Amino acid sequence: MDASRGNDVLPESATAEEGVKTESGGGDSSARRITAMLIAPGTIWMLLFLVVPMLMMVYVSFWTQKTFSIEPTLTVKSWVAFFSSETYFAALLRTIKIWLIVLATTFALGYPTALFIGLFIKNKTVQTIVLVLCVVPFWTSFLIRVLAWRPMLGKEGAVNIVLEKLGLIAEPIEVLLFTEFSVVVGMTQIYVVFMVGPIAFMLSRIDPSLIEAARDLGAGTWRIFRTIIFPLSLPGVVVGAIFVSVMVLGEFATSAALSGRKVNLLGNIIVTQVGSLKWAFAAVAGVILTAVMAIVVAVLLRFVDLRKEL
Amino acid sequence: MTAILELKNVTKRYGGDTALDGLSVTLEANEYISLLGPSGSGKSTLLRVIAGFEKPDAGEVLLEGRSLAQVPAYRRGIGFVSQGFALFPHLSVFENVAFGLRNREDDPLQDAAELRRRVDEMLALVGLSDLGERGIDQISGGQKQRVALARTLVADPKIILLDEPLGALDANLRARMRVELRRIRQQLGITFMHVTGNEEEALAMGDRVAVLDSGRLAQISDPDSVYNRPQSARVAKFLNCYNMFEGRRDEGGAFHAGVSSFACSPGAAAAGVYCVRFDKIRVVPLQGLSEDGGTGVRATFITSEYAGPRITYFFRGADGKVLEVEYHLSHRRPDEFAVGGDYWLSWSPDEALVYFQ
Amino acid sequence: MENRPFLRSALAFYTALFIGFLYAPFVVLGILSFQAGPEGGPQFPITEWSTYWYEHIFGLTPPSRIAPLPIGEAMIRSLTLAFMTMVTSTVLGTMTAQAFRRRFKGSGFVFYLVVLGMIVPGVLVGLGLALVANNLGISRAWWGTAYVAHVLYTFPFAFLVMLAIFNRFDRSVEEAAWSLGVTPMRTFRKVTFPLIFPGVLSSMLFAFTLSYDEFPRTLFAAGADLTLPLAIYGTFSVEIHPNIFAFGVLTTLFSFSILAVYGILMSLSVRRAKKAAIQEDIQ
Repeated sequence: MDASRGNDVLPESATAEEGVKTESGGGDSSARRITAMLIAPGTIWMLLFLVVPMLMMVYVSFWTQKTFSIEPTLTVKSWVAFFSSETYFAALLRTIKIWLIVLATTFALGYPTALFIGLFIKNKTVQTIVLVLCVVPFWTSFLIRVLAWRPMLGKEGAVNIVLEKLGLIAEPIEVLLFTEFSVVVGMTQIYVVFMVGPIAFMLSRIDPSLIEAARDLGAGTWRIFRTIIFPLSLPGVVVGAIFVSVMVLGEFATSAALSGRKVNLLGNIIVTQVGSLKWAFAAVAGVILTAVMAIVVAVLLRFVDLRKEL
Repeated sequence: MTAILELKNVTKRYGGDTALDGLSVTLEANEYISLLGPSGSGKSTLLRVIAGFEKPDAGEVLLEGRSLAQVPAYRRGIGFVSQGFALFPHLSVFENVAFGLRNREDDPLQDAAELRRRVDEMLALVGLSDLGERGIDQISGGQKQRVALARTLVADPKIILLDEPLGALDANLRARMRVELRRIRQQLGITFMHVTGNEEEALAMGDRVAVLDSGRLAQISDPDSVYNRPQSARVAKFLNCYNMFEGRRDEGGAFHAGVSSFACSPGAAAAGVYCVRFDKIRVVPLQGLSEDGGTGVRATFITSEYAGPRITYFFRGADGKVLEVEYHLSHRRPDEFAVGGDYWLSWSPDEALVYFQ
Repeated sequence: MENRPFLRSALAFYTALFIGFLYAPFVVLGILSFQAGPEGGPQFPITEWSTYWYEHIFGLTPPSRIAPLPIGEAMIRSLTLAFMTMVTSTVLGTMTAQAFRRRFKGSGFVFYLVVLGMIVPGVLVGLGLALVANNLGISRAWWGTAYVAHVLYTFPFAFLVMLAIFNRFDRSVEEAAWSLGVTPMRTFRKVTFPLIFPGVLSSMLFAFTLSYDEFPRTLFAAGADLTLPLAIYGTFSVEIHPNIFAFGVLTTLFSFSILAVYGILMSLSVRRAKKAAIQEDIQ
């Protein structure tokens, strides 16, 4: 007799899917007014302090740069200077290169860990503990954490000492520190967790019976991974890639600390230019960085609906 | 009798789906009305519209003759008991019941002694006098149900809407709460509107039963009329106690459904549904049967289900359709039928209900 | 998959290595912070174990050629700033997420506008704010432009945390309160807020730690008075001494104590809910 018990189909399901519910504590117009009041402060904050400054940056990139000041006379001189300068254009390419490498290393290093956490640890508490264990290093100041790679990778650093003791090398390797290598290592260490988290989350949502069923049908481990597990984890990979990309593309502190100012990224260019009061030039670099970022994020967002995954 | 709540042509859509389709109904003061409908019939939506949680797309709701169109949920004075009880998990039983009195917009009650008196009185009414200081996670499902009711009743609403209030309880408790709900309502004289998908519950509780079908009112009358004279084949189907045969009546007054044909009131030829209630059927062994067993069908016995006061026998008809027969055991002993044996299920043509399109 | 013992152990071993990799810098700075002073440098091997550099931070060592870290005032500024940021972004995040419980026109725009705050690189946010401030003749300060920039960063986090909380929130308890004649405003205070409080705590924790350690946004926006990360960044260009490692260890411990406070508040709020149920009736 209870078969027909249950919710009426409409109100619950229509809303659960959207993740947003219709509601009217009051009339419709008053509900609208309340919504407007609730979103106004946050929206105004973002528009005023984020969107306006970004537009300002675009605007200033066309101003005239004097030695120690800028003037609102419009010109494309700074833009021409950027693209005709070997150094700056190289910085753009280097930024893209480092970004791609770090994206690859965080994925390669992070995926197996995510696989273990998301798929092999069944106990939710243990899962949380391991994830928290991964996040704990974040409570050390980011800058100091980066600095700690110096005594690790230096000529007399821990890595070289260990390798020498093991007899693997005769001479200390010098290229470990103050090179692109050390920058990649530092960034990977800092950002890999942002790759692990989303992937592990997606993996933990996979229904075990799906894998069970595939195994019953005679599929091997590799085949199961390729056809079931990996495709289902892809949204996590994309979300992780978005996190890592937006952070790495705007980076400058890691390269400043670990490259001995030899590896200049777009971020470093901006910092140096601001340091010498070349605002217009810094703005050009900023606009270019924004453009790169917008393209990367837009492309990644094509693969996944951020609003749904969160 | 005076009308307390009136719905006029209420329509509610969600995207392309119509949950309520021009529904009109009137509730009398001091009555228990049960609203029966299968899932998806719009019954929960109806309650939410009345309570003011959803705004109808068209039509209006009138409480004591006053339109509620511009009245928000918290100013309607309509009580609402939801299926999951929706108790405040961070408050004790006492505080749950006291919540409305303390925090309502209109004349909040500050006097601690008066508050205590009112809440205790209500807890006593629902039989929870000793549990006031318990936390919500420390009481049983049935007790939660009573807290939800007490919390609503203490606010002295003009009408109380109950959304599948017994759905979350086990069968035993459900039966007890049915009696309790009716008792409490009678004691207070408030109108209750009780939504359920369970036909037995609807018939047992309501002074009147409203049957909802696809967002429309299919029938509203006293339980006896609904049960014995459903107004349409769909209502009969919801009641879940009719064997139904789809077919056609010919001019001669015979109803043809597949290989079977039954006697039927004469009239113009028309397609229709022929319904026979489970408990109006006699089972006769084929061997002992004279040539003509009267109106009925030949069927094979499958199994039976014993339910104390009654027993239900399941048969398979010639076309594979499962037919049910119910015996009320107060008058007789259960019969033994041979599984796989063939029987003649017969009934008096007067007892059958036929609906034509 | 779990019945592949070899794969399982291999991955477990790898995960252990991975976590070792994450912790390596911390271990290194932990060890090197006990380097002998003032002659010992920020590298291996440890010439002699000592707590010299810890004493150095608190100015307990005799004056030497190594200047003490300029952190005293910077730290107070950073804590104040983190507190201001925490309060603002949690309020904004909760308000905005509350609005998102209702479907409304333009919700997609508002969503991405808010999320933009965590996507745009800090250096650009700082640059943009500095440009605007300069042109309006507003002087940049940690409590002004930097505060604004920090909220831009932490508000999206608070918003997303609260959004997740509200997605799981059972709205029927609010409806129950309304049907008892309680206004939506009071319902929020008396029912919704107590129930979402754990989420509010989490978003406060997020905002505080993010702001406390924020660097790229602050760099251009802070003006003359430095915050803590800026003070540390200042030591990059000069020579590094183990005192910075000692300081790293101390700040980590400090972070843990904040985490502990969060944990205690969290369990208290759970327990209080249970206790309130029992107590409020006894009196």
